[in-house]
Amino acid sequence: MALSGIQIYKLLPQTNCKECGFPTCLAFSMKLAAKQVELSACPYVSEASKKQLAESSAPPVRLITLKANGAEIKAGNEVCMFRHEKTFYNKPGLFIRVKASDPDLAAKVTKADAYKVNYVGMDFTVDGFAVEADGDLTAAVKAIRAVSKRPLILISTDAAALDSALGLLAGEQTLIYAADSSNYEALADTAKKHKAALVVKGDSLDALADLTPKVQAKGVEDMVLDLGGKNLGEWLTRSTQARRLALKSNFKPLGYPTIFFAAQNGVEKEAVYAAQAISKYAGFVILDTFAPEMIYPLLVLRENIYTDPQKPIQVTPGIYEINSPKPESPVLITTNFSITYFSVANEVEGSGLPAWLVVTDAEGMSVLTAWAAGKFDAERIAKAVKGFDVASKVSKKRIVLPGHVAVLSGELEEELSDWEIRVGPREAVDLPAFMKQALN
Amino acid sequence: MPIEIPKDKWPGKIQSVTIGAAAAEGGTRTKSITIGGQTCMPYLHYEAPMPNRPVIAIEIKSRKPDDWSSLLAEVWGDAMNDPAQWAKKAEEAGADLLVLALTLADSPEDAVKAVKAVLGASGLPLVVWGPGQAEKDNELLVPVAEAAKGEKLVLGICEDKNYRTIVATAMANGHLVQARTPMDVNLSKQLNILISDMGMPHDRIIMDPTTGALGYGIEYGYSVMERLRLAALQGDTMTQQPMMVTPGFEAWKTKESKVGEGVPESWGDWKARAINWETLTAIALVESGADIVVLRHPESVKRVSEAIGELISV
Amino acid sequence: MEHTVIFTTEDNKTATVTVPTNTMLADAAHIAGIDIGQPCGGQGRCGRCAVQVTDGNVRRRSTLRLSPADVEQGYALACQTVVEGDVSIYVPPQEKIERRLTTDRVVAEVTVPADYDYDLAQSIRRVHLQLTPPTMEDQIDDWSRLQTAFRLQANMQNVNCSLHLLQTMGETLRAGEWQVTAVIERDIDNPDKPIRLIELYPGYVDEYSPLWGCAIDIGTTTVSLWLVDLISGQVKAQVAEYNGQIARGEDVISRIIFAGKNGGGQEMRQRVLDTINDLLETACKRVKAKPEDVMKATVAGNSTMIHLLLGIPAGSIRLSPFITAVNHPPLMTAKDVGINIHHEGTVDCLPGVASYVGADITAGVLSSGLERAENVTLFIDIGTNGETVLGNRDWLVTCACSAGPAFEGAGVMNGMRATQGAIEEVWISNDTLEPTYRVIGGGKPKGICGSGLISLLSEAFLTGVIDKAGNVNLTAGSSRVREGTHGGEYVVAWGAETESGEDIVMSRVDIDNLLRAKAAIYAGFTVLADTVGIPLETTDKVLVGGSFGKYINVEKAVQIGLLPDMDWPRFEFLGNTSVKGAYYALLDWRKRERITEIAKRMTYVELSADNSFYEAFTSALFLPHTDLSKFPSVEAALHKA
Repeated sequence: MALSGIQIYKLLPQTNCKECGFPTCLAFSMKLAAKQVELSACPYVSEASKKQLAESSAPPVRLITLKANGAEIKAGNEVCMFRHEKTFYNKPGLFIRVKASDPDLAAKVTKADAYKVNYVGMDFTVDGFAVEADGDLTAAVKAIRAVSKRPLILISTDAAALDSALGLLAGEQTLIYAADSSNYEALADTAKKHKAALVVKGDSLDALADLTPKVQAKGVEDMVLDLGGKNLGEWLTRSTQARRLALKSNFKPLGYPTIFFAAQNGVEKEAVYAAQAISKYAGFVILDTFAPEMIYPLLVLRENIYTDPQKPIQVTPGIYEINSPKPESPVLITTNFSITYFSVANEVEGSGLPAWLVVTDAEGMSVLTAWAAGKFDAERIAKAVKGFDVASKVSKKRIVLPGHVAVLSGELEEELSDWEIRVGPREAVDLPAFMKQALN
Repeated sequence: MPIEIPKDKWPGKIQSVTIGAAAAEGGTRTKSITIGGQTCMPYLHYEAPMPNRPVIAIEIKSRKPDDWSSLLAEVWGDAMNDPAQWAKKAEEAGADLLVLALTLADSPEDAVKAVKAVLGASGLPLVVWGPGQAEKDNELLVPVAEAAKGEKLVLGICEDKNYRTIVATAMANGHLVQARTPMDVNLSKQLNILISDMGMPHDRIIMDPTTGALGYGIEYGYSVMERLRLAALQGDTMTQQPMMVTPGFEAWKTKESKVGEGVPESWGDWKARAINWETLTAIALVESGADIVVLRHPESVKRVSEAIGELISV
Repeated sequence: MEHTVIFTTEDNKTATVTVPTNTMLADAAHIAGIDIGQPCGGQGRCGRCAVQVTDGNVRRRSTLRLSPADVEQGYALACQTVVEGDVSIYVPPQEKIERRLTTDRVVAEVTVPADYDYDLAQSIRRVHLQLTPPTMEDQIDDWSRLQTAFRLQANMQNVNCSLHLLQTMGETLRAGEWQVTAVIERDIDNPDKPIRLIELYPGYVDEYSPLWGCAIDIGTTTVSLWLVDLISGQVKAQVAEYNGQIARGEDVISRIIFAGKNGGGQEMRQRVLDTINDLLETACKRVKAKPEDVMKATVAGNSTMIHLLLGIPAGSIRLSPFITAVNHPPLMTAKDVGINIHHEGTVDCLPGVASYVGADITAGVLSSGLERAENVTLFIDIGTNGETVLGNRDWLVTCACSAGPAFEGAGVMNGMRATQGAIEEVWISNDTLEPTYRVIGGGKPKGICGSGLISLLSEAFLTGVIDKAGNVNLTAGSSRVREGTHGGEYVVAWGAETESGEDIVMSRVDIDNLLRAKAAIYAGFTVLADTVGIPLETTDKVLVGGSFGKYINVEKAVQIGLLPDMDWPRFEFLGNTSVKGAYYALLDWRKRERITEIAKRMTYVELSADNSFYEAFTSALFLPHTDLSKFPSVEAALHKA
């Protein structure tokens, strides 16, 4: 169980020596509780306290890293059931399944490997390839390594074939799929030899929980679970139970990330299956189809679900149209804090009056907070008005500032010399009246 | 030894809400729909049975919209010119209920006429939305509520600045209301309180916590719904309303769905992408606790419906 | 059955009536011609009609707002108590009742700390010296002669003096015929340090005449000044006024920005100095002293206010990483600072902690006694910057949030400070929606002060004039509820009743401001408590500070969700804790040292580090709160209404 700031404080020396870089021991404890600082920064903490604090902070889901020379992807280390409780940390890796027997293997991998899509300024790609050993695995791995540097998952239960293929992947961290109760000994040996991670597969959570300690006893620490499950509902149940056992019951045998095959019930269901896996705790998601029209939405969904919810809710800066504005409609300025945006947009929308709403990038702060922090000043507003090319949309170069920042009007006139600057009301509720009376 | 699976025992229960009234209940619907009643987080059947499945509504409009994607115009065809035809086609496409959105161009008479036409053409329960401007909403929804007295329509959309008139007419005419707030747990709860304070029974309020589309803020809607559901199960009576969200409306606003030209090649095939966009937006919300999802494309309806089927049958 | 009821009032007026059994005391009083105020309209809600049954039998239907001890002493609510026999009733004056009610917290009179000892604790001293006059044989210079007298008669080894005093010294010594009274300042902790001569008066000044010092709190909205006799330790005058800087911005951020502009810093400095010097003059006039008789000023205030007072650029306070130029300014002379006390007098600016936790809070922690509390205690300052401190003698955490000036009466259409003419309490009748209000000083109302706004908001909410979101219910059915220029509004006083002749109203915008202010304060202390993992309900006591009035009705403050819903006895209203802390520091060097210690011990929590403050804020932006289960007493009150 995580300890609160005061609980941690009681384990610290309470001398306020400041050597950790914080003004008081309590300030340091609260940072520790928020996992924003390491305990080692305190030179005077007792051994007993160290032990107690270490126990309270061990990750309940083991961190697994798959790595090649070009890229790496992590899974695990998660601490919550619902993203709002803290955040989900490690995005599930999206792996494309390819077949060793496929004559077009290299071409397919080349194409998927090169795939790149931009979403709000970030470039997304697929994370790696899962190679099905229905042919010569070693040759397939060789062919892939000629065209891709992304991490691999090897799908085979043939220890000898795996041994040979893994020999080509020295220095990498690969995942082997999959050990079950019948073959785990040989596969665990192979995994151990090559420092690979190993998927453990079972018909039920009971079977899995039985197997993982055995694999561990063979010297393999890095495991990934295949939970099975016949459809969306059953997999959701198992995934939830496994995560909950790890988090709430600190149940170590299931404290590993999971792998999920999205096309198990047909490619027509693949997108929906993958979507659930992304939302509901999967560590690795295997796709049979490489189709941009599916990969792109899945990558976006993954990004959305794994966004840190502790950050203030923001609206994308830009120019928003309210009630189908025309060139002569007024231009209103506000910040990109969602509540600010919604209150302004709702008032205007509800009034039926058309307007252009320019949402500036104030780092997700409200008008007053942003202004206080220097994130909503004349320079930024001018930059937004110019950047969004507001001038090209309107016939009357006039903008309305929120009343709370009336003081900015002078500077803004300098920044936007050919614009008329008007000071609007302080409260969004007064906007419709202002627009009717003052702007005609 | 078998693992002991940790189970949550929640003190709270989601309110059961029935939409639509058949003849015996004073309406003309061929069936009514009941949502809510859950006592655990979505689809965790090992904790508690799921008394009612989430349902899918299809959104139609009183007049042919000129701002909808051509992919939608293509699939609905001429039916878009006639709300009664459109309603029939939507029912065939697998809708569990219908949403009829009125427009600014409608007069109160037009609105009543459109609602009556839809009620006549399809026996499904009906949600009626005003055009989304306070005065106009009130002007259209009051006569609609009176004309369809007893049908147990859902009237929308109540917001914190404009809820009194809609709630009053829904109460007087035996309808339900949709209470929308902008993606915030507290605001949802506050509007439920304000509406309850007017005397509206809880089994006639559906909350709409609002969502963003995939890529456009869905994570906020997703988490707000999970939090509302958790709060409800913890026993907070003011968050126990079933939830209705509009992934169709949101997804089809996005560039990814709406247009096929002038977009990056890495976005892939337009039509497939557009349907994925709507479907995945809806699936994420179904996973986070939606009881009604309002969609626009028949193919999305089919895929979401199948997924719901898998989620409820374990 | 008929009974005799005898009423006696404070001025010994008596009236006797005969009434049947079960007659309400209030009705009996009415028949007897005795005026018992019933601000809440006789609903047993306000407790203002309490009387004392000195003899005979009555039946109390409700004793809400009376403590068991009061009931024991015979107190009863006239509107909730019926006659069951011959009875004698004492009708106490209103202000005595207010002090008794369990809901009301009136600021205690300031008393000199019991441990105050002028000789041991005070750094400013007045010393009588008898110098040997010079002669042709004794050719020692004046200054050495004075130093010798200090050494031999006052045991002061090392006295320093300014050029200005040297210039007038000879004249003073001779005018007093070598008898002089010196005012000096010493460093009690370091007896070896030089002693500073502040002033020299010819002759002996009466030992018992006051030696003046002043304690000043520079609030963002209100500046307070107490004039203190350092010998007796008594506060002789208390004055307060809005900070003149308000004209250049209501909050610290606007002020910092204004001060950063060309000449703005100088203007800000001058504005607050003008406010302080005007207050000083007013206070001095009251005790027939002159500002230059005041030998020391101890100043508390938030970090921005101190920077602006001293003319130090404050820009870095506003921007990340939020660093002050100085948290603990050195001692300065009044001449340098610009405060019109004695020009050689000392100005002592108390130490703060950080940009948003200033000396107002460290001083407040001292005067509230929080730093010595055994159990976890919450200290809430209901001011513009909404500072909160949680802790006990082992640890202290603090935060600040921008609450705005609404509770000090600023930024509200008809708001004003808690002075003559301010409506300080409002009750609204459930049936008619007509208000009853009480005005400070008793005359025509000029506006509404902080405590009045709290009770008005609460009453409007409980009677359905506004809904829980603060929307004015225009269909409430009273001419007092109407559409105004800023949305819906409620008329508290018609123009015919007011000083200005204009209606006094509470508008939708005012309501929003009040809601935001209370939500910020409530969110501040709830998030603070969450951050350290202390459940709010486990706090032993809630200390409330602020300069919005002389009293707070705890029940009303709870009903609007400003204060947490706890048993009323757990609240204490301390008034302006900052000026009180400055007063303690002015008197006693040990307490001054303690403030320095407090500053070192306090841990500042930055509320904007994550979403939790916004969450807490939006959930508090409702009456009383989105989570009504946090306010069981309000839930019960609503049920009744």
